[in-house]
Amino acid sequence: MTETTGSSGAVRFNDETWETLSAATRANLCFQCGTCTAACPLADNTPMRVRMLVRRAQFGETDPLIWKCMTCAECNASCPRGVDIVGLVRYLRQGKWRTREVPKGLPTLLWGIFSDGNTFHLPPKDRAAWMQDVKVPGRGSTLLYVGCTASYDPRAQRTARSVAKLLNLAGVEYQVMGTDEICCGEAARSVGNEGLYDDLQERNSAAFRQRGIERVITISPHSFDALKVGQAKYGGPPVVHYTQALEELCDSGKIVSKVEKRVVTYHDPCYLGRHQGVFESPRRLLELTGLKLIEMRNNRAQSLCCGGGGGRMWMETDPSERPGPRRVAEAAGTGAELLATACPYCISVFESERGSEPIPVTDVAELLASGARG
Amino acid sequence: MTGANDGGCWVYAERQGDSFLSVSLELLGKARELADRLGGELTALTVGGNSGAGAPLRRYGPDHVLELTHPLLATYDAKAYATAIGAELSKSKPSALLLGATRNGQDLAGRLAVRMRTGLTAHVTGIELDDRQNLVGWVPGFGGGIEAGVSCPVRRPQMVTVRPGVFPLPEGRTPTGDVREVVPELSEKDLGSRRVSFEVKGSSVDLTRAGVIVVGGRGTGGDFTRLEKLARLLGGEVGATRIATDAGWVERDRMIGQTGVITHPKLVLVLGASGAVQFTVGIDRASTVVAVNRDPSAPIFDHADLGIVGDLGPVVDSLLRALEA
Amino acid sequence: MRIVVCLKVVPRPEEVKVNLESKTLDRAGARSVLNPADVNALETALAFRDTVGGKVTVLSMGPPQFEPYLRVAPAVGADEAVLLSDRAFGGADTLATSYTLATAIGKIGGADLIVCGEESSDGGTSQVPPSIAEWLDASQATYVERIVSGKSAATVLATRVLENGKETVELDLPAVVSVVVGANEPRFIDYDRWAFAQSASVKVLDFAALGGDPQYLGLKGSPTTVAGLREVRKPGRRREVLTVTADDAAARIKAEIERAGLVRN
Repeated sequence: MTETTGSSGAVRFNDETWETLSAATRANLCFQCGTCTAACPLADNTPMRVRMLVRRAQFGETDPLIWKCMTCAECNASCPRGVDIVGLVRYLRQGKWRTREVPKGLPTLLWGIFSDGNTFHLPPKDRAAWMQDVKVPGRGSTLLYVGCTASYDPRAQRTARSVAKLLNLAGVEYQVMGTDEICCGEAARSVGNEGLYDDLQERNSAAFRQRGIERVITISPHSFDALKVGQAKYGGPPVVHYTQALEELCDSGKIVSKVEKRVVTYHDPCYLGRHQGVFESPRRLLELTGLKLIEMRNNRAQSLCCGGGGGRMWMETDPSERPGPRRVAEAAGTGAELLATACPYCISVFESERGSEPIPVTDVAELLASGARG
Repeated sequence: MTGANDGGCWVYAERQGDSFLSVSLELLGKARELADRLGGELTALTVGGNSGAGAPLRRYGPDHVLELTHPLLATYDAKAYATAIGAELSKSKPSALLLGATRNGQDLAGRLAVRMRTGLTAHVTGIELDDRQNLVGWVPGFGGGIEAGVSCPVRRPQMVTVRPGVFPLPEGRTPTGDVREVVPELSEKDLGSRRVSFEVKGSSVDLTRAGVIVVGGRGTGGDFTRLEKLARLLGGEVGATRIATDAGWVERDRMIGQTGVITHPKLVLVLGASGAVQFTVGIDRASTVVAVNRDPSAPIFDHADLGIVGDLGPVVDSLLRALEA
Repeated sequence: MRIVVCLKVVPRPEEVKVNLESKTLDRAGARSVLNPADVNALETALAFRDTVGGKVTVLSMGPPQFEPYLRVAPAVGADEAVLLSDRAFGGADTLATSYTLATAIGKIGGADLIVCGEESSDGGTSQVPPSIAEWLDASQATYVERIVSGKSAATVLATRVLENGKETVELDLPAVVSVVVGANEPRFIDYDRWAFAQSASVKVLDFAALGGDPQYLGLKGSPTTVAGLREVRKPGRRREVLTVTADDAAARIKAEIERAGLVRN
């Protein structure tokens, strides 16, 4: 993207950039109806206005507030003209890497991904620590791709162990990459560094090929989205989320799970739901265990973002701008005893922002594992 | 082949204004012992702009105090200092030269070692003599709990830099030794740099003398507020591992370990630090060590009197409640 | 302005194995990284070049396998990369290392400013930058967080971070500067330059190409020797390790505090 300083003093990108951008995102079709702003969960508590962001792009300008976006895609879902606003945000962020105007901390995040292979700046040799006592068959053409968060974050490690135990119970043959696994690149893509994302997709694709992988199961919806999109480009294997894989195993009777009768509500992670259209698998898993599922008002395609997507996990967010507490309150308001979800970011955000709400936050796989019999 | 070891020990005594850094006095104490064992003399070397500043060093047992004074030496410049000191070393040929591993000490040592074409062992946490009476400086190495003994068998002087706090601070005694002043020949062109300004740090902390230290590592995730509160309640200071200071969570002068400070507290609480050897060398002189870590196999537990396996947050919260009760 | 950045490729410390019997460190199985402080040094150099103009050359010493690590430098904006690689350079301590680097700087046409990291994460001596300065008879400023242009083209202003404050010095060029870790946030790889950086050749200099006095190179030029490796003496700690509730843990820690004579009540 080439930028020039126009007569008004505002930095503008050129016509060629605009043409590429509108071809990719259809931003030229926007007629400024404002439905996107109305749908945006940040519209009431931040100055960012999605409509303005698109308008400024039409004038060749990058709205400085693009970094607030969580890429939750509520705007995409609501746009009557089918503009890929999330794609536009990523594209505009990409331009900011070229002019080196990105928020503090993001270059450090990418250096960590580049050299340590993870988003935490932790040693690659600790990547398999999540396994603890879990034994993995280590054969077959299915890969359980754990991802950075479930590999290193002790809370999310529990989810990874639950999924592995369920696969073991069902007698699935699968491998994990252990200390050889590297980042899926979702963080790089969401902060607009398409170059690093591509680099990681290529490296992952080569590693999958070398191991003879024909199917990838991910823990995180973010890895699911990033690998699904990226591997398609590099001729890699098909990718599913663990809720889809476990649903198949339950349906074929390989996993039976009954948990004590309680009322649960389910939060749709943006990247599992709106981005990849998986709404029903996690709900079926919850219901198969005998839990009673009640819905929040904002469910499925209308789900409210936890606030952790779009690279926001690595940018400081003022407490007044965090959508997490509102979502937990909505969950508690249903009268459910448990808030279940299927994304390590959502769990991490809810657990740190639930404040005085007593509702426990848990993962679908953990619930399933707690009552599972082979 | 081995170098001479009876040529005497020199200590570079570094000044801040008119007072000497305690690390320099600690080195005088250790060097006195070494000189006696080697049958040589101990010379305390000081460099500055005015004469007479070296007299206080006589209370720490030297045989000689050597003052290098010149107006151009009033503020530190590596090039001029190395020129002045190098000339004296070439004349007197001491067997060893010890320097404090302060920032200016390190800056000077690296330059001086090349000038003397000799070996330098940096950041040692112990000095011993081998069977040929060569100095062996012990340097903590890679993780895994090892240290390397480094010596310089042939070239002289054997140069070693030592972290503050490694050796005990000697008591001042009856003054000994003579004071000799040398005015080196220097001109403006011998300087490589000139001080333009100096911004004194508001609050500087010296962890080497703290009685209680609450140390946070990677496991804190960057949240030091409760650690600060804990330190305040115990009348102590907050310390940190290299990871925590590199991440910018805590100021660099609170870093403990091989490239930080060596501490001697009555009690140190180590919270969320795994216990890499480069860190533990900084707490092994503490009277009591208590560690909290989530990983039961963390090496820190080998360095602790009491170890708690568990999550930091709840333990620290309970402890704060218990102390405030 | 001709700027040289000394970049070291270091093994990941947690992956280096120690053989206490043979008294050697086994780095073979360890993955490598660019020394963190050196990446800050590279950023300092690039930012300074971006203001005053000139050329940034990255210089490293090590086996040919280090080449891919050096290619990162052109991908972030360095103009060229040079690797000193020869068995004759092996086994070098800080005296020999600094001699080799200083000789190479002369060989590639000299430099007005040489920027290094404050210390390496493996050796950790912080001695190489001032030693290079002495070999080149250059001036020096270590533990620097910032450099800006000086009053004349023959100087720069460098701000050093010392124990008791920050010292700004006017530094005569040529000069060696060592940069503190974390002094800046290094710019990330520019993937538009990535393909170029991968195809760009890293210039490799061996002993024959470098020249220099063999008595100062490698093991032969290293006056220090590792006399021994030993396990760090663990102090006589009680090593009582408990897995208990947070409240029980707090009670035990409080008892320990009282035993140390620190709290009276």
